[in-house]
Amino acid sequence: MNPTFANAVTAPDVAALLPTFIVAGTALVVLFFDFFAPKSARRWLAIGLSILGLIVSAVMTAHQYGHPVVAFSGAYLVGGFSVIFSEITIVATIISLLLTLGVGRDDQIAGSSALVLWSTTGAMLMSGAGNLMMIFLGIELLSLGLYCLCGMSLRSTARESALKYLILSSMASGFMLYGMALLFGATGSVSLAALASAHVGALFAMGVGLFLIGIAFKLSLVPFHVWTPDVYEGAPLTVTAYMSIVTKAGVLAVLARIAYAALPAESATMLLVPVWAVAGLSMIVGNLAALAQTDLKRLLAYSGIAQVGYIVAAFAGRTDYGLRYAMLYFAVYLFMNLGAFGVLALMSRDGETGPQLASFTGLAYRRPWLAGAMTFFLLSLAGLPPTGGFTAKILLLASTTSAGYVWLALLLILGTAISVYVYFKIVRIMFVRADEAHVRDERGPNFTPWIGIAVCAAAVFVLCFYPLTPSDVLPAIK
Amino acid sequence: MAATLCIIVPILVGLALYALPKKSDRIAQIIGIVLGGIIVGFVAISANDADVSVRWLSRPFEARFHVGFGGISYWIALLLAIATFSSLIALSAARARDFVAQMLILEGAMMGVFLAKDLLLFALFWDFMLIPVFVMIVGWGVASRRSDAMNLGARGTRQTAAWRYLIYNMVGGLVLLLATAAFGIAYGSTNVIGATGVTPLGEVWAPWILAGFAFAFLIKTPVWPLHTWMPETYAELPPEVVAVVSAVQSKAGLYGFIVIGLPLFANDMHRFAPVMFVLGLIALVYGAAIALVQTDAKKIVAYSSLSHLGLILIGIFSFNALALQGAVVYIIAHGLFSAALFLTLGYIEQREETREINRLGGLGADNPRLAGGLMLAALAALGLPGLAGFAGELLIMSGLFAAGYWWAALIALVPIVLAAAYMLRLFQMTMNGPHNADLPRRRDLTWTEGLALTPLVIGVVLLGVNPGPVATATANAIHAAVALVPGAKDASR
Repeated sequence: MNPTFANAVTAPDVAALLPTFIVAGTALVVLFFDFFAPKSARRWLAIGLSILGLIVSAVMTAHQYGHPVVAFSGAYLVGGFSVIFSEITIVATIISLLLTLGVGRDDQIAGSSALVLWSTTGAMLMSGAGNLMMIFLGIELLSLGLYCLCGMSLRSTARESALKYLILSSMASGFMLYGMALLFGATGSVSLAALASAHVGALFAMGVGLFLIGIAFKLSLVPFHVWTPDVYEGAPLTVTAYMSIVTKAGVLAVLARIAYAALPAESATMLLVPVWAVAGLSMIVGNLAALAQTDLKRLLAYSGIAQVGYIVAAFAGRTDYGLRYAMLYFAVYLFMNLGAFGVLALMSRDGETGPQLASFTGLAYRRPWLAGAMTFFLLSLAGLPPTGGFTAKILLLASTTSAGYVWLALLLILGTAISVYVYFKIVRIMFVRADEAHVRDERGPNFTPWIGIAVCAAAVFVLCFYPLTPSDVLPAIK
Repeated sequence: MAATLCIIVPILVGLALYALPKKSDRIAQIIGIVLGGIIVGFVAISANDADVSVRWLSRPFEARFHVGFGGISYWIALLLAIATFSSLIALSAARARDFVAQMLILEGAMMGVFLAKDLLLFALFWDFMLIPVFVMIVGWGVASRRSDAMNLGARGTRQTAAWRYLIYNMVGGLVLLLATAAFGIAYGSTNVIGATGVTPLGEVWAPWILAGFAFAFLIKTPVWPLHTWMPETYAELPPEVVAVVSAVQSKAGLYGFIVIGLPLFANDMHRFAPVMFVLGLIALVYGAAIALVQTDAKKIVAYSSLSHLGLILIGIFSFNALALQGAVVYIIAHGLFSAALFLTLGYIEQREETREINRLGGLGADNPRLAGGLMLAALAALGLPGLAGFAGELLIMSGLFAAGYWWAALIALVPIVLAAAYMLRLFQMTMNGPHNADLPRRRDLTWTEGLALTPLVIGVVLLGVNPGPVATATANAIHAAVALVPGAKDASR
C-alpha cells in the first residue's frame, strides 16, 4: 500500500479546496490593502473585501453541490454534506462581519477580519475532513484565530476570556488528540474509512470515547460546558456572535461525519448512546441554567448549550431525516441567534459588553422595531410560530420520534418548555410599562447591525414557510 | 381565499399600526373598528367559500397551508369576528395604538386556529395566539395600573398571571406539537381536519397521540384540575381582551375535540370518555360552587365559564348527535354572552374603580342601560328560555338523556340551577340595593359603549330564538363523526 502522502497533488484536489483557499487568501488581501487604505476607509475596506471574498467562496462552494469529489486521497471530501456546512459557516461569517462594522478600533479591524477569515477556513476544512489529521488541522486553525479574537480588547475580562478559552480548549484538543492516537493504534490508519471497517476492541472504544469527549468539550455539551458562559461573556460581542455559530458548525460537521459514516455499523449505536444522553442532558441543564442569567450574553451562551443539544439529538438513530433536519435547525439557529446578537449589539453600551436584562425594560414602547425584532428572534429560539424555529423544531421532533428515540423527543419538549420561560423573561420585560425617566437608553454607536438583523429576520421568517431540506446530505468517507 | 384574508389581513394591519406615530391612538382605534366590521361582514358572506390549500411540507409527512370555512369553523369564525369587533368598539385602554395592534394580531391568529384544516397549521396558530395575550397581560394588566411598574422584583399578580397563562398554555402547546409530529409520522399527512376517509391510526400510536391532543385541549378549555391559570388571567386582562379570550380562545380545546378527536380518534375517544365525563362533571359542579362564593365580579364569571365549558365537554363525550349539536350551539352561545358579560363588567369597573361586589351596589338606578345590558347577558348565562344559553343547554341535556346518561344529566342539573343563583347574585349586588357613598357616580353607558354590546345582544337573542342554523349547519359533520364511534347512540335519526 502506498503511503497517502506519496500521491501527487492533482488539479482536482486543488479545485476541491479552492473555496477554502479563497477565504484564507482574502485574509492576506485584507491585511495587504490595509497598509495603503486612507484612515477613513480602513473599516469599510477591510469588511467589504472580506465579505466579497466570502461571497465568491460561497458561490464556488454552491457549485460543488451535487458533484462529489474525493480530494487528496480521501483527506478532504466534497459533497452535499460539506457544502451545506461550509455555506452555513460562510453565511454566519458574513453576518458577524456586518455586525462588526461599527465596533472595535479602526487599527484593529483589518487584523480581526483576517483572523475571522482564517477561523472560517478552519471550520470549512472541518466540514470536509476525511481523516483524523484534517479534523485536527481544522479545529486548531479555527481555535487559534478565536483565541486572539477573544483577547482583542482592552477590557480585562476579554483577556481573561481569551486565556480561559485557550487553556480549556487546548485541554479538549488534548483529549481529542489522545483519542486519535489510540484510534491510530487500533486501526493503523488515520483515515475515517479505516475506522468504519475496524474491529471494535477496548482500544478502539477508548479512542472513540476520548475523541467524543473532545468533541463534546468543543460543542460545550453538558457536563463539558462550564467554560462557555465565561468565555462568551468576556469576549467582545461580535466575536461571541461569530463563535456561537462557526465553532459549532465545524464541530457538528465532524460529529455528524463520525456518527453517520465513520463507525462500524454494528457497534455504532452502543458507542454513540452516551452522546445522545449528553445531548438530552444539555437541553435540560442549559435551559435551567439560563433561567438565572441577567447578562444577555451569558443567557444566550446557556441557551446555545441547549440548542446544540437539540441538534445533536437529531443525529440519534443516524437517520437520513435526522441529519437533514439537524442541518435545517442549525441553519435556522444561525439566523435567529445572530439576529438576537445583532439586537444586543444595538443595545450594548460600547459594542463589546452584553446588555443587562434591565436595560430592556419597556423597550417595546421606546424602540418598538428593535423590540419587535428581538421578540421575533426569541420566539424562534423558543420554537414558536411564525418562525423557522417552529418548523425546524417540529421536524426535529418528527425525525427523533420516527427514529424510535421518543425519550429524546420528550426531553426536547421538556427543555423547550423551560426555555419558554427563559426567552419570555426578556419578552416580558420589553413589554412591561416603565417610567421612561428611570431607564437609561443605551444606544449602540451605530446602525449598521440593522442590516444583519434584517437579513436574519427575513431568513427566519422564510424558513418557517419554505423549510429548505436538501436531499444530498449523507456524509461520505473514502 | 376569504379564509386566508381573514387570517393575514388583521395580522398585517396590526403590525402596520406600529408604523403610525405614537400619539395616533384615535386613528388606530378607528382603523381597528372599521377593519373589525369589515371582517364580520366578510366572514358572514363566506360560508360557502372554497378552501385554499398550498403545499408546505412534503417530507417527512405532508402538510399544507389549508384553510377553509367548512362545518363548525364558519360559526366560530363569525363569533370571533363579532367578539373582536365589539371589543374594539368598547376599547378604552391606554396606548390604544399598540393595544389595537395586539388585538388585531390576536384576531388573525385565532382565525388561523379555527380555519386551519391542517393539523400542523392548527398547531402553529395554537401557539401563536398565546403571544398577543401574553403581551397584553404584561402591558395592560389591571394590577399594573396600581403597582409600580418599575419595581421589577415585585411578585405582582400581573407577573404570576402572565407566567401562569404562558407556561400552562405553552406546555399544552408543546405537547400538542409533539402529538402533531407523531401523527404526521404515523399517518403520513397532517392535512386531515375536516377530511373524509381518514383511516384510523394503529392501536399502538393512537391513544398516546390522542392523549397529547387531549392534554392541550383540556388546558386550553380549561378543565379541572388544569384550570388554575384561568381565573387570575381573566381577572388580570383588560375587559376588552378577556371578552375575546373567554368567548373564543377558550373554545379552541372543545373545537379540537370535535374536529380532531371525534373524526380521527373515534375508538380512543370512546375509551377516554369515562375520564372526560368525570372531569367535565367536576368542572361543572366545582365552577358553579366557587362562582357562588366569589366576591370579585370578574372571577364569578370566570368560574361560571369553567362550569359551562364542563357541560359542553360532557356533551361532546356523550357521543350523541343531539348533545353534540347542543355543544356547538352552546359554544357559540357562551361566546356571545360571556363576551357581553365581561364587557359590561369592564364598564362597571371603569365607573366604580372596583370589582368587589360587596362594595358595589345601586348602580341600576342611575345607569338603566348598563343594568339592562348586564341583565340580558346574565339571563342568557343562567339559561333563560328564549335566549342563547337555554337552547344549548336544552339540546345537551336531551342528548344526555337520549344517550342513556340520565345520571349525568341529573348531576348537571344542579349547577345549572346554581347558575341562576350566582348570576342573580352578581346582578343584585351590583345593580340593586343602596349605592356605596365612597364610590363615584358616573354617567350611564355612552352610545359607543352601548353599540359595542349590540351585536352580542342581537346574537344572543337570535341564537336563542332560532338555534337551527347553527345546529343544522354542523349536523352533517357531527353525524359523520358520531357514526365512527363504536356504541354511540345517534338519537336524532
